Amino acid sequence: MAKRYLILEDGSAYAGEGFGAGATTSGEVIFNLNLLGYQETITDQIYHNQIIIFAQPAIGNVGINHDSYESILPTAKGMVVRDLTNISTNRLSRLSLDEFLQQHNIPGISGIDTRHLIRKLRQAGPMKGSIVDVADAHAFDQLNATVLTNRQVDQVATPKPYPNPDTGKNVVVIDFGLKHGILRQLSERRCNVTVLPWTASAQDVLNLDPDGVLLSTGPGSPLDLGTGVLDMIREVQAEIPLFAIGLGHELFALANGAELTALPVEYHGSSHPIRRIITNDVIYATQGQGYAVLAKSIDRDRLITTYVDLIDGTVQGLRHRDFPAFSVQFFADGAPGPHESRDLFDEFMEAMTSREG
Amino acid sequence: MQNWDQLQKVLIIGSGPTEIGHETELDGATVQILTEFKKHGVRTLVIDNNPFSVALEEIQPTNMYVQAVTTANVRHILEKDQPDAILPTLGGLRGMRIAQELQENGDLGRYEVAVLGMPTSTLEQINNPAALNATLKEIHEPVIEAQVVQTEDEALGLVEAIGFPLIVKPVAPRVDTNRTICENVDDMLTALSQGFQQSRFDQCTLERSVVGYKEIEMVAIRDRVDTELLISGLENVDPIGIHSGDSIVLSPPQTLNDREYQDLRDATFRIATELNVVGILHVHFALNPANQHFYVTKVAPYFTRGVALAARTVGYPVAIVTGELLLGQRLVDVKLPSQYVKQTAIMEPMNDHISVRIPLWPFQEVPDADQHLDTAMKAVGSTVGIGRSVEEAMLKSVRSSQFSPRDVLPSVSNLTDGEMISQLIHPLANRILVLIEALRRGYSPAELSELTKIDPFYFVKLQHLLTIEKQIQENPLDVATLKRARYYGFGDGMIARIWQTDTAEIRRLSTEAAIQPTYKMIEPTAGEFPEDASGYYSTFEYENESQPLGDRTALVLGRGGNQLGPNSAAEYFTTEMLKQLKRAGYHTILMNTNPNAVGVAPEFSDKQYVDPIQLGDVLNVIHVEHPDIVIVPGNRHYLTRELKKRHLNLHVLPPDQETVDKLPKMATIGVSLFVHEQEKVAIGVMDLIAPGMTQNLAQITAFRMPAELPKATRLNLVEQAKKAVSERQVRGMVQVLFAPKNATSKQLVCVGTRPIRLTEMAFLSKVTGINWVRMLTRQHIETLDADELAAIKIDLNSKRVALMNAVFPFQQLHVLNRPGTTDQEVGATIAFGSSEALKLNNLSDTAELDRIINRTI
Repeated sequence: MAKRYLILEDGSAYAGEGFGAGATTSGEVIFNLNLLGYQETITDQIYHNQIIIFAQPAIGNVGINHDSYESILPTAKGMVVRDLTNISTNRLSRLSLDEFLQQHNIPGISGIDTRHLIRKLRQAGPMKGSIVDVADAHAFDQLNATVLTNRQVDQVATPKPYPNPDTGKNVVVIDFGLKHGILRQLSERRCNVTVLPWTASAQDVLNLDPDGVLLSTGPGSPLDLGTGVLDMIREVQAEIPLFAIGLGHELFALANGAELTALPVEYHGSSHPIRRIITNDVIYATQGQGYAVLAKSIDRDRLITTYVDLIDGTVQGLRHRDFPAFSVQFFADGAPGPHESRDLFDEFMEAMTSREG
Repeated sequence: MQNWDQLQKVLIIGSGPTEIGHETELDGATVQILTEFKKHGVRTLVIDNNPFSVALEEIQPTNMYVQAVTTANVRHILEKDQPDAILPTLGGLRGMRIAQELQENGDLGRYEVAVLGMPTSTLEQINNPAALNATLKEIHEPVIEAQVVQTEDEALGLVEAIGFPLIVKPVAPRVDTNRTICENVDDMLTALSQGFQQSRFDQCTLERSVVGYKEIEMVAIRDRVDTELLISGLENVDPIGIHSGDSIVLSPPQTLNDREYQDLRDATFRIATELNVVGILHVHFALNPANQHFYVTKVAPYFTRGVALAARTVGYPVAIVTGELLLGQRLVDVKLPSQYVKQTAIMEPMNDHISVRIPLWPFQEVPDADQHLDTAMKAVGSTVGIGRSVEEAMLKSVRSSQFSPRDVLPSVSNLTDGEMISQLIHPLANRILVLIEALRRGYSPAELSELTKIDPFYFVKLQHLLTIEKQIQENPLDVATLKRARYYGFGDGMIARIWQTDTAEIRRLSTEAAIQPTYKMIEPTAGEFPEDASGYYSTFEYENESQPLGDRTALVLGRGGNQLGPNSAAEYFTTEMLKQLKRAGYHTILMNTNPNAVGVAPEFSDKQYVDPIQLGDVLNVIHVEHPDIVIVPGNRHYLTRELKKRHLNLHVLPPDQETVDKLPKMATIGVSLFVHEQEKVAIGVMDLIAPGMTQNLAQITAFRMPAELPKATRLNLVEQAKKAVSERQVRGMVQVLFAPKNATSKQLVCVGTRPIRLTEMAFLSKVTGINWVRMLTRQHIETLDADELAAIKIDLNSKRVALMNAVFPFQQLHVLNRPGTTDQEVGATIAFGSSEALKLNNLSDTAELDRIINRTI
């Protein structure tokens, strides 16, 4: 494979071997600490416009298999790994990671001291980077001139509504860059799902007469999405049970008067203990966030904090005092990562059921 | 245990002598848990009869019961010392069984003793597979159940539910029989007709066969309020059908997808919750690679080899945390020593390295044992390789294995094709070499996976290593090739052999081209937090994280994996030596690859390198640390010779066996001396016993001190011994050997002198209460004071007699039981008592020796 480089905004360059697509891309460089699930990670749309460094050194071991997609069209800007196994002889898959990335025009680079990069980024904070063929002045000029879009949601979320029919509860999912794990959890619970674009108005939602509304995960900053979506949330939560995850959670908080803060370093991993305040027990879940709800900004007359990260103290869950509406920052569907927060989907089902009763 | 505050006195059920199935890992965990208990002011008693136990060095003599670990002896302690609780989880399965027996016979109730680690209902289930299966079924965890049938019709009725392949086994067979794996109805009917005849009750059992499934292990920890986290998953390269102790094992698993991994994690937590375990839980699973269904095959809520591996390779302080949890702490409250980031105990470990464990087998010492790997464990030890790719970790582990004493991999190219196929299907201990050979002969990963049921991933990895090997062969002295080879784990010795040069040349090339190792920290957060852990491994990357410890450093080379011979005693030696070096003000660095070693715990040294103990790797560490002294174990002659050439301040400890003169064929009495300058301290006069044999030196595997001799004779022998050593240049611990003058005479004459063996050094320390390992260490680092030595008074005529007897693995290896040699020892037991109690009427009666040493107090 060809020699390629990962170059960073701070002027550093790291030589490695290219894999996947030969494209030159730029993006925000972040790291993911999960032990497994590179396929779920690379296909998760929250990584739109990002280059992902994997802490787990051996990547590609199980190829690409049909039920580990979190979206069909991955839009991450690159994969940085220590060691790539280009295998397609796995028992569950036919496609190798290399072929998959080629098909989707995503470059990868292997042979990189990923541990060093993670240690560096943990100190230095967010940084732009590129995967390039030649690490010359021109490449750095290009990188420095790159302006990353803040319209990530627009670029990945569905522009048109579509159904995922089943026979149970009627659920509207608002797509901000939905990961499929959410749909899988709703399917397991027989929900009759309609996915709406994130620009849907409260009227669009209510017209479908849903039993519940789910605000999905998605990439980028919620502050870039304008106030229309906040109005929609405020109107809908007063009428219909609502469950929000990830970016959806951040929007739910904004809609109810809380403020957000950008984390010094984005966190993508599943090792942090998260306290469930009502039961005082500890769970683990996959987290992927660049922003967090500012604890002191929470209006206690409107919102209750339900989950908190015991390591960095970030708010991980909220519940509305007056409405059956709740949210979590972490990914309750797992995929990849621990499953113990999947009962939140059951809670959502209960909220929909009790409203009927 | 409801009332944690009232816990003031705990009895730890020790693990007993090292044997196949457990080595020093239980002792290591015991030391760490003891330390936690002490910190909380809990008085801790230990029962153990392992003379090589480091834990026994860590406690007051009044808290120590050097007795056979039996139910009767434990019961006696409960009665006499009234502990509030017992801790069975450090004693392996025996510990669990003893606790269960004490529960059943009412002793726990009678003496109001609680069990730490799990409720008694769980204890009972762990001791009763049927009850455990029932519980697992209740919580919908799939288990393999055996169903009893009496007729062919009954069996045919079950076929659909069980599915093929299935296993037929006669119930209570009249003869020693095997399980029969049946692929179809015809197979089954044949097996049944035979089985019914063999069974005393005309019955057979049927169960689903999971042979060929993936074997995955999960190690979790849980506190009393049901907080659970997964410490590590472990993947066995070999499928079900080969004992996990005999399989190459990886951490973390490499061929599972996230969903499979999380499903097993969920199941582990459900089991931990259901069994209400406090502390660790180690679960084995059989995973069907085709459809992702799994079965629970083993549940172990106690310390095991797998727990030790997980702790060591992940960098999570399992034993320390368990100690805290057992005293009622919650995971969120556990406070760790300062080198850990504050909340390490409650973070689920994530690693950015890969560890590969390879077993070590005793077949060189016990050549008549069946070398086929099957469901009964045969390995006596293991070594681990850590790296940043599967190739690198795999190669490092193989380079630390017994296949590679000089860093060169042997070839099995002399096998015929037929032999090779047969060994692929019925693997022997040299499995890994045969897999490599098969790839060399052009078999594809898919074909080999079909034959061996090993995931094709591993063949792809081995094939990659062969590609690199070919590149090395074709590009002699090429720098780019050297870089690639080192990056993927090839050792200097291996590369030098292929290029027909020496390691010095390889090192010169590497230095010129700046191909230097970078050391990475073994820590549980994958770089997320600035942990200050003390374990490192090498790789060849951009950033080196290991800074030299500074002034006054001592580098101690460990022995690597446990093998037969004096190895568990060597582990005791290394650990005690490290303690003494630290006490003498040295910064201590240990290099070792044995995941079960006591000494690799961060408590005993300032820094640990988990890298092959091979010349190139040792020189690399020396290059980083510049140690003031380097200590090499006596069994590494080649390494010692090579290191000596480099003008290092090198000490061979324990002393090199090569320096000994010709030894006599036999001896019956040994006089042990410590020789320092002009001072000769008499440590003791021992009977040398060769159970079941004549006094052949190699078969002296039991010892009694003081020797059964008249007092005057003992003193006379000591004088003779001192005289004998005065005439020669010896120092340190030496033993002067005596034997009867001839067959008819009882007069003892001096027949030779030898350095004291490791096993006997441990024995002498336990018997005299003086730590001779530390004395020897101090002698080498020149902190031993002759006056202090002269002041030591040892009663050579003590009324208290000590007896030590070696343990051999013959029964576990299914070979003829016979008198063993010192090279075949797997461990030993020790007993103290009056000369009456330990009197041996017939020195060659092995059964009597066994009975006396394992007696009930």
